[in-house]
Amino acid sequence: MSRPLHFSAFVMNTASHITHGLWRDPRGEQIDFNDLQLWVSLAKTLEAGGFDAIFFADVVGLYGDYDGGWAHHARLGLQIPSNDPLVILSALASHTEHLGLAFTAGPIQEPPFNFARRVATLDHASQGRIAWNIVTSALENGWRNFGHDGLLAHDDRYRWADEYVDVLYKLWEGSWEDDALLADRGSGVYADPTKIHKIHHVSERYRVEGPFLVSPSPQRTPLLFQAGSSKVGRDFAARNAEAQFIVAPDPENARTLIEDTRRLVEEHGRHRDDLKFFQGLSFVVGSTEAEVRAKEADLEEKIDIDGMISHFGGSLGVDLGQYEPDTPIDTIHTEGGQSGLAWLRESTGGRTPTLGDLVRLRARGTRVAGTPEQIADRLALWRDAGVDGINVVNAFIPSSYEEFIDHVLPVLRERGLARGEYDPGTLRHKLFGGGDRLPDRHPAARYRGAFAPSATAVAR
Amino acid sequence: MTDRLRLNAFSMNCVSHIHHGQWARPDTRQTDYHDLDTWVDLARLLERGKFDALFLADVIGTHHPYRGSRDVTVHEGMQIPVNDPSLLIPAMAYATENLGFAFTHSVLQEHPFTFARRVATLDHLTDGRVAWNIVTSYLENAARNLGYGTLPAHADRYRRAEEYLQVVYELLEGSWEDDAVLRDVAGGVYADPAKIHDIDHQGEFYPGVIGPHLCEPSPQRTPVLFQAGASDTGREFAARHAEAIFIAGRSPAGAGAHVRDVRERAARHGREPGDILFFQPLSFIVGGTEAEVARKVREVDEYASPAGYASHMGGAMGIDLGEIPLDTPLGELGDYNVQAMVKGLIESAPDQRWTFGDLVRFSADTRVSGTPEQIADELALWVDQGVNGINVMYYTTPGSFEDFIEGVVPVLQDRGLVQREYAPGTLREKLTDGGGPRPDDRHPASGVRRERLAGASAAG
Repeated sequence: MSRPLHFSAFVMNTASHITHGLWRDPRGEQIDFNDLQLWVSLAKTLEAGGFDAIFFADVVGLYGDYDGGWAHHARLGLQIPSNDPLVILSALASHTEHLGLAFTAGPIQEPPFNFARRVATLDHASQGRIAWNIVTSALENGWRNFGHDGLLAHDDRYRWADEYVDVLYKLWEGSWEDDALLADRGSGVYADPTKIHKIHHVSERYRVEGPFLVSPSPQRTPLLFQAGSSKVGRDFAARNAEAQFIVAPDPENARTLIEDTRRLVEEHGRHRDDLKFFQGLSFVVGSTEAEVRAKEADLEEKIDIDGMISHFGGSLGVDLGQYEPDTPIDTIHTEGGQSGLAWLRESTGGRTPTLGDLVRLRARGTRVAGTPEQIADRLALWRDAGVDGINVVNAFIPSSYEEFIDHVLPVLRERGLARGEYDPGTLRHKLFGGGDRLPDRHPAARYRGAFAPSATAVAR
Repeated sequence: MTDRLRLNAFSMNCVSHIHHGQWARPDTRQTDYHDLDTWVDLARLLERGKFDALFLADVIGTHHPYRGSRDVTVHEGMQIPVNDPSLLIPAMAYATENLGFAFTHSVLQEHPFTFARRVATLDHLTDGRVAWNIVTSYLENAARNLGYGTLPAHADRYRRAEEYLQVVYELLEGSWEDDAVLRDVAGGVYADPAKIHDIDHQGEFYPGVIGPHLCEPSPQRTPVLFQAGASDTGREFAARHAEAIFIAGRSPAGAGAHVRDVRERAARHGREPGDILFFQPLSFIVGGTEAEVARKVREVDEYASPAGYASHMGGAMGIDLGEIPLDTPLGELGDYNVQAMVKGLIESAPDQRWTFGDLVRFSADTRVSGTPEQIADELALWVDQGVNGINVMYYTTPGSFEDFIEGVVPVLQDRGLVQREYAPGTLREKLTDGGGPRPDDRHPASGVRRERLAGASAAG
């Protein structure tokens, strides 16, 4: 079997994203995140190296407390300060041709009408290379920035997300017919008003009249990423997502997760391959085993363990700063992100995980260390478990990616684990080979033609 | 010494912005508005011409119906489709060093927390070259797209705008102290938590915004603030908050009256006359000889679409002008029950033999045509009335800007009316010729900063 893997670079518009403490190192150019140059040059590097996408994570608030407050996060630069990811993408689009541009946003941030227009603007500007990672915002402080008393209950957040994407689908897929745009210079008719429709959406949270203000972009709906691993989150992904970001502790866990989710995908009337799975992994690359060990030791020394713990606890909404290492933590109930706890339980093989496990696992995380050949062997296991792509976590921007591109990707290509040249077309077409738009079996497709007067008449 | 004229290019991320019908010409790139190269090339051209800024208008809904529907606006590409303006900025900023970027954003559009982060990110990415044109939206459809059900009353929109700005100031000016960011590599301290503050905003429209702001202080903190309100409420608002005002004088004398009125209002709010810059929009037809000018005028007039202008004018007034046939001579308009606003316009027309189509077109077209010397003479009249800058509108893009830059700018430079070189620093420093990167001490944004941070520093 020679199915190649896809590769995306997992980054965030901040100084300290996943592997904390490393901006202090001279190689940690992520400290220049305010500077557009860093991102444009990284995007060019990724495209020259054949990466499929750059994937921007995001949060809209502080992580939960550690040691009784958030002082710790500010000192570490732990996702604070952090800048908006969306507005960078036009600059990246204008300096690349093929690289996919994925960003993260959630329903609490802005009304769907405004959001739909921004995304479609970028999809036009990038000729169809935009992906949206749908999140439901699990940080308490994020909610309190938007006028809420606190975090909405987990399942309610997903209900909101359902409502949000429903409005978006109507705007992206249903408001403009494909042949609405004429741009006929002779007659002076730019567009045909009979093929542009109001959507008249009314639901619990939203009233949106339309029509959509943007003409159909290459992909219409951007490629849809999602990362939830709770039951409700997976169900949402199975219905809506085209790519799911997973952080399985090992290939066997990934296999189970993927199989379970693919079954759900089929239950919702989609094809099992309509959803692709991207596993988050970081890499330590060396030409000899001795070099690998030395680089790992160097990393272990520089990684801020407290930062790793506080990030984890902060995403759960649990202050882990006041517990002993042997504290069992699987009994914690939280309305925060459920993915982290599920991951931890799987990682300890069912044994009651402790804070100590967390420290150990979080620091090493899903790290793959080895020579390029050893890394290729490991990636073959992930692929054989059903993984479609790797979200490459960095220690240093850009050198983590440069090393991967220079040393690992050539070996992966030889083994058929990475593709060679880019395929033509939009990001969706590059990933699925089935055209620029969502397949007919996706829930968004039901709004195609749904608002044309004839369709309304038929429905009546 | 006469103050210099500042030059903005006035454009919009759509096909037909002000001069309707021209998009069908073979020598304009308007139909390529969704292509980033169009904008990057324009930004480079403007910077060669030493323009101060590119000013991007916006609407977030379709205009009021014309002849009972939006069909004409769609036929004309009249601000529909219309893409997001702010997302173009990073791509253009990366290709330029000095050009400023003003974009329009309505207080109805998104939550101020999201907006403050987006604009701070833009200010970082552009090294402080961003301006925000504050609008309150006048289109019914915009309000219905954003979930308001119907357009809030004028006074309510301005009350919301007051609070919106207050939240934005609190986030941009009052959350992070200047020395909060340490980037101390040796100590491993990115930022000092004691110098980052919650804003804990409680208000009528935004009942809970806790903060802190997620971005570290950007070069300008608050972007340069543009405003365009002409009503009494709008002028009061501008007198307090705006650093630059977009006026729409029908003549130099009319502009002068507006300038003096707002300067007097500003003085009552403790600001100085020079704290606000006034920009007048004008369109230019430039020729080396009067014969060439006449030829270009004929070209423009041949393509001009009276229906496009009428749908725009009525669409903005909220009335349907479609009931008046465009070929009706003004003298015969007594048959129509036209509103007072239109009646005033009709009476002010210098030639009562014009048709109604002529009237709407000429009303929207403050045109200056001539040789560069003639145009420079005309511009001097505006400067004499206290106008500080021109928003240059286009018939074709980039053609109109090229003509102005190649023909008129050198003459204006020779007369000392426009700059030959950019001043160093942020957009605010460049525009104010000697001001600082942050809003001046008399500006309410600085008031929020003093109030929020002075106490904090004293306590710290």
